[in-house]
Amino acid sequence: MPFSSYLEGKRKDCAELVAELGKRFSYVSILGTDVHAAVYRADRKSSMARDGEGECGFVVKMHDGSSFFEYSLDDISGDKKELAEKITAAVETDPSLEGRMIRTAALKDEPLVQDFVRETDFAGYDDAKLLGICRELSEKLCAADEKVRNAVAAIQPYWVSKLFVSKNRQLTQHYGWANGFLIVLYQDGKMVSARRVEGADKLSEIIENLKGGTEKVLDLARHLVTAKPIVPGVYDVITDSSITGLIAHEAFGHGVEMDQFVKDRALGKYFMGKYVASPIANMRDGAAAAHSVASYFFDDDGVLAHDTQIIRDGVLTAGLSDLASAAQLGTEPTGNGRRDSYKRKSYSRMTNTFFCRGTDKLEDMIASVKHGYMIFETNNGMEDPKNWQIQCTAEYGIEIVDGKLTENYVSPVVMSGYVPDLLKSISMISDGFEVIGSGYCGKGHKEWVRVSDGGPNLKARVKLG
Amino acid sequence: MKDIIEFLRAEPAINDFRITENATKSYELFFVHRDLETVRATDTASADVTVYVDHDGKRGDSTFAVYPSMGEKDLEAKIKSAVERAKLVDNEPYALPEKGELCAALPTNMEDADVKALAAKIADAVYAADDVPGGSINALEIFIYRDTVRVRNSRGVDKKQITHRVMIEAIPTFTNDKESVELYEDHRFTVFEPGKVTAEIAEKMKEVRDRAAARPPKTPMQISVLLRPAEIAMMMRELAADLNYASVYAHANLHSIGDDLQEAGAGDKLTLTMRGVIEGSERSAYFDEDGTELADTELISAGKVSAYFGSSRHGQYLGIEKPSGALRCAEVMPGTLSEKELCAAPYLECVSLSNLQLDLYNDYIGGEIRLAYYFDGEKTVPVTGITMSGRLSDVLKNMRLSEKTAVHGAYRGPERLLMPDITVL
Repeated sequence: MPFSSYLEGKRKDCAELVAELGKRFSYVSILGTDVHAAVYRADRKSSMARDGEGECGFVVKMHDGSSFFEYSLDDISGDKKELAEKITAAVETDPSLEGRMIRTAALKDEPLVQDFVRETDFAGYDDAKLLGICRELSEKLCAADEKVRNAVAAIQPYWVSKLFVSKNRQLTQHYGWANGFLIVLYQDGKMVSARRVEGADKLSEIIENLKGGTEKVLDLARHLVTAKPIVPGVYDVITDSSITGLIAHEAFGHGVEMDQFVKDRALGKYFMGKYVASPIANMRDGAAAAHSVASYFFDDDGVLAHDTQIIRDGVLTAGLSDLASAAQLGTEPTGNGRRDSYKRKSYSRMTNTFFCRGTDKLEDMIASVKHGYMIFETNNGMEDPKNWQIQCTAEYGIEIVDGKLTENYVSPVVMSGYVPDLLKSISMISDGFEVIGSGYCGKGHKEWVRVSDGGPNLKARVKLG
Repeated sequence: MKDIIEFLRAEPAINDFRITENATKSYELFFVHRDLETVRATDTASADVTVYVDHDGKRGDSTFAVYPSMGEKDLEAKIKSAVERAKLVDNEPYALPEKGELCAALPTNMEDADVKALAAKIADAVYAADDVPGGSINALEIFIYRDTVRVRNSRGVDKKQITHRVMIEAIPTFTNDKESVELYEDHRFTVFEPGKVTAEIAEKMKEVRDRAAARPPKTPMQISVLLRPAEIAMMMRELAADLNYASVYAHANLHSIGDDLQEAGAGDKLTLTMRGVIEGSERSAYFDEDGTELADTELISAGKVSAYFGSSRHGQYLGIEKPSGALRCAEVMPGTLSEKELCAAPYLECVSLSNLQLDLYNDYIGGEIRLAYYFDGEKTVPVTGITMSGRLSDVLKNMRLSEKTAVHGAYRGPERLLMPDITVL
């Protein structure tokens, strides 16, 4: 699927509307989005082949040295003068608020015209093939063990086309990503749900990994039915890449989103240049920092993708900003302005967030634990950038006794504590590395965007409950 | 462009269809401290169209999105593609809801309001509570929405609902000479009462001041833990999800009709009813995405599972004569826990949790507590930096429900739920 022909046909309309609104505002940009998604899914009793959640529309961003103004709409055809008047009227405020506008410097609009494309192999797979693969996987899992109550297999590709137009910039980008899922509902006395998630920009890779993952997800299910509740306490813990990523995301990802700095909602603002983690810890974020689900070429403010080092050798070095927060802080935007959709506001958001690899061997890390747990697979997490509390929930853990992994599984595992305590307790970092591109992240309890996170294995000392 | 229905009727392979149109107009203000950072307005619409194709004794369906910018050729291509997809899908047959017209609006006092003036009044109501020395509201987001949803199908259903709703995200903050702390809060309503908004934010301003004074208590401890409506609602939502027709059909349900969730328990008996409409809840609805008229359903009666609920399709699969429709609101009958009784023994009242963790399969309830009030039997002090965990089945058996009730989001029921013997670390 090439770049959206619909958006291609709207370049002129966008330029004309920018020019018309430019008579009133010193900065005007338009982001056009055309996102298509598909869902293929099969389980023991049902199947599905349908569109997934997509979007198609425009958001106009305006600035005049005071507040920012935005207007979201479905189409920009027609008389531009009339449309510009409608937009300008729609974003007016009640007179009582006129004296309360913020003041910022003028926004930069450096000239750039460029088209970005990242190829996928999606065109080689039709609906019948993808649904057929899901059916085959589900049937295989259901037939493998009579204790399997149901098994879900799903493949979800999506294609992104975005057009950004301002007075001096015209950018387009087109790329795709896909996720695959295996979920086994298994009952052997206790009922459990075991899952396996894949993410890649090649369906061939997703399919190969799903096919190769059936035995692994069944094996996990068979172990999870034996899982016991964990005895709450403080333990030495080894994280898998998924949990490492969750810590990166919740501990310091949200904490360095610089729109939170503007609102005095993040302690990170006051810790720039200071130790916030173990001296062996390094952390990065950026659409250009890794190849994963959040690897776009430019953000929803038209800023090119960055690779930002957030923590260097334990010291907090940089934050992540969108256009509005950078303007208020007097910094350069870092390409982290992202929207849930064209209908929603742009905020400072994470992209691909991860701890950098270390030098330790995983087997040495496990061997160094007298009694603790290795914990696996993100369930969910919650940030608290103002007060640096953290909660991360892992799907399961495996007990480590005298330096060896046992067959003792615990589930679920809720890790919580004070962020600097957790990060400063990191004592070993493995030389392995994986970024998992299947996550979604909200800001508070809304504004969902696709993100990846990950890194190597960490050894830390944390509270588990 | 012609009505979508004309295009769908022109495709002979389609046995049935459903069109769900969503239109939203919004006006949004974003404050940084007390200054206005961003002003937004939106005017968007889209439709989800589902085509149903019967083949080989099965029913296939496929859904696609239609945007206002699409032309006739785009729409025809989408329909053809959806028909081909539906032919690949082989689900058990089911019927769409038949005949029914409705045009309804949720009760509101904001229908005729000038949104710009309304937004300013909401901001005033929030900032009126910003009078605590050391306190501030560091960020405020106000969203005023007018949603219109219309469901039509090939069997004569044509139903429309208009909802006026407001969502506020306010960040109460308290700063002293040692630290600055905040609480995250969102408020949602369909009827604007300035005094009520101010009172709710004022309560949060008091709580955030207490968070600054809060210290970790001596742990570990086994203690009764009180949950507030937001967390009670989450617990009820989790119990209800297990009893959804779709969950039962997929063999994913843990509990079944007749199961006693509170067998041999010493607590208040749980009666949980899923409802279409709860006064004041923005989640209230008169029909679901299929256009099915919603029928209130008592899922759990005095602790025993008494019914399932859900969509018409999955209800038909289970042989339910009149499926309830996809109900979204939950109501719990009040219990016997009085304020006087509460004062008789120590407890920990959760004010702010990171996120209540509930896992039915693993029989777990827990979470990190950001602010709680610890009552030691005599005095109450704010505490923080602790985590709780317990067995959900034990909680269900022995929980106590307050006499006093409250509405929160899609929940109406006891204002407090007491969980005895929880481990706090």
